Amino acid sequence: MQNAQEKEVFLQLILQNKGIIVKICNAYCHNSADREDLAQEITYALWKSSKNFTPDFKFTTWMYRVALNVAISFYRANKKLQDNISFTAITEEIADQPGNHAAEEKLFLLQQQIAALKELDKALMILYFEEKSYKEIAEIVGITATNVATKINRIKEKLKQNINNTKK
Amino acid sequence: MNDIELKNIWKTYDQKIEEAKILNLQSWAVNIKTFEYLQTHKAATILGSLSRYKKVAVILGLLWAFFLGILVYGNHFKNVYFTVSVLAIFIFTIIAIAAYVKQIILIGRINYGNSLTDTQEKLTRLKASTIKSIRVIWLQLPFYTTFFWNTEWMKSDIKFWLITFPVTLIFTFFAIWLYKNISLKNAEKKWLKMLLGNKEWTSLINAKKYLDEIEEFKQG
Repeated sequence: MQNAQEKEVFLQLILQNKGIIVKICNAYCHNSADREDLAQEITYALWKSSKNFTPDFKFTTWMYRVALNVAISFYRANKKLQDNISFTAITEEIADQPGNHAAEEKLFLLQQQIAALKELDKALMILYFEEKSYKEIAEIVGITATNVATKINRIKEKLKQNINNTKK
Repeated sequence: MNDIELKNIWKTYDQKIEEAKILNLQSWAVNIKTFEYLQTHKAATILGSLSRYKKVAVILGLLWAFFLGILVYGNHFKNVYFTVSVLAIFIFTIIAIAAYVKQIILIGRINYGNSLTDTQEKLTRLKASTIKSIRVIWLQLPFYTTFFWNTEWMKSDIKFWLITFPVTLIFTFFAIWLYKNISLKNAEKKWLKMLLGNKEWTSLINAKKYLDEIEEFKQG
């Protein structure tokens, strides 16, 4: 991506798929400052890696790979993110919006459970919730589709059980 | 709770994020339009911070090697023990520098577009690779006990054979033992913690745990 036109195409692609970056930042960081730092890291990595992008994969598959790799590395490099899994900032921002309190409570519980997962398990569940096929998840994560299915089922059951137990 | 309910909760999350406008991505897009931004931001990236420590080690290593070169040159090869000892220290320093340079090049080649397990494994191995340079540096140890030797001393003073020579032998065995044993598989040993210092040791332990975790993840 050297010339201005290519740069513009890249920026448009990023903006069209910005939801991917937003969700990943929210899953790996729990305050606005860290989320913005991570979002910049991801955008920068996407820009730098864009020369390596080949049409062998879908653009979103490649984008998920870059974004999740950066997010996991960012998370591992920042010890405070691992020590403190408080959701204060994000829930405060969400709570400002009018809405259904029961749904917000469930959402909070789900976020809590996902934040407590290990880095790679967290990536698996984001991709699952984003309706990616097991084949595509396997390509992004680098394990077999059968392994993906087994792991997702196991984590899903654990999430349901934990959410139900917390509600009681 | 069934799968659909679980996915529906996630969809609420999606909607809330959009409403809360948590991240204003448009502004970063404007920022990265300028190459100045890319240049200034480069220093702060994760990969940048990973190679920064190694770059500092290379610079310090080169300065040390330069100083050793001056010592050998200044001595005019008059004392063979001094020359050989300093040259040996010089060679091990260069080998350690070469290992760091190789690691810096590999960090630069990390492709985030590869699969998560592959990239994370490579990154973690690179983080732990500092240990390879450290074990080479320890091989210099016995040569710090030989640079002051001279033939006259060996011939005339029994203390040389009773004290100095055995000390060099002990240091040699110790250096070889360390070279063989400083490795990721011994990361949890107390002696390695004492040798590396708490910060370096913790980072090594974390790398080992994460590599085990990746392996377990791949196995299913």
